[in-house]
Amino acid sequence: MGTICDTKPGMIPRPKALRPISVITCSIILVAFQTTGCSTTKPPTEALSRAELTLRTAAEARADELAPMDLQRAREKLEGSKKAMAAGKYEEARRLAEMAQVEAELAEAKADAEITRRAADGLRQAVDALRQEMERGLVRGTSPGASKE
Amino acid sequence: MISDSLFNRSNLSITALGLLASFFLGCATVRNPALDRARDAYETARRDPAVAGRAAVALDKTRMTLERAERVWATEKDVNEVEHLGYLAEKRAEIARVTARQRLAADEILELRPQRE
Repeated sequence: MGTICDTKPGMIPRPKALRPISVITCSIILVAFQTTGCSTTKPPTEALSRAELTLRTAAEARADELAPMDLQRAREKLEGSKKAMAAGKYEEARRLAEMAQVEAELAEAKADAEITRRAADGLRQAVDALRQEMERGLVRGTSPGASKE
Repeated sequence: MISDSLFNRSNLSITALGLLASFFLGCATVRNPALDRARDAYETARRDPAVAGRAAVALDKTRMTLERAERVWATEKDVNEVEHLGYLAEKRAEIARVTARQRLAADEILELRPQRE
């Protein structure tokens, strides 16, 4: 079975000099496609604004005070993303923006968890204190001294 | 001469086939450490009843990110993207664990509040 690559004796052979040129041309076209494919990736403006918004929400949730390391990491990634964006490195900018986003979410979750934990601790202490007070009151109420009065 | 060139040609084909086979076999068994870590993080979170019960949404986001990483690894073998997605999945698993902790504390508040009143 013949293929399109087969050369038959009757056929006019291709000029030999063109072969290496066509190989080089194809390679150049391929590399150009690859390179332009990377560089023409859309600027990740949406990912960047999402990350910025999440960072703001995290700061409002007291992450600065309750999850400072995570928030700092998120801020650094956001800065890195902006720099990469300015340099036209959109792939890097997108990755850094997505990292900033997830780290800001983590900072916010940690801050929320800490606020709720503190509230639960406070409530538990209040309930314990109330219980102890009630127990003391009961003991006083049933103690012999109290019955004499 | 002819037999020599034939021999060389068949040798070349065998080598090419061998290279192709080793390439595909190699691809099938190559592991990605970032992806392994992400899988572990997701599995640990998923098996924790507190996380599965109280942070289902965060856990679902972890699963989706992990699935994206798995897909990229299986189809494109883009190491940088897989490492990136693996990192995101790990962080998402951590968010799920922290969310579960927050919900546990919130449940405790709901339980304690009537006792104080």
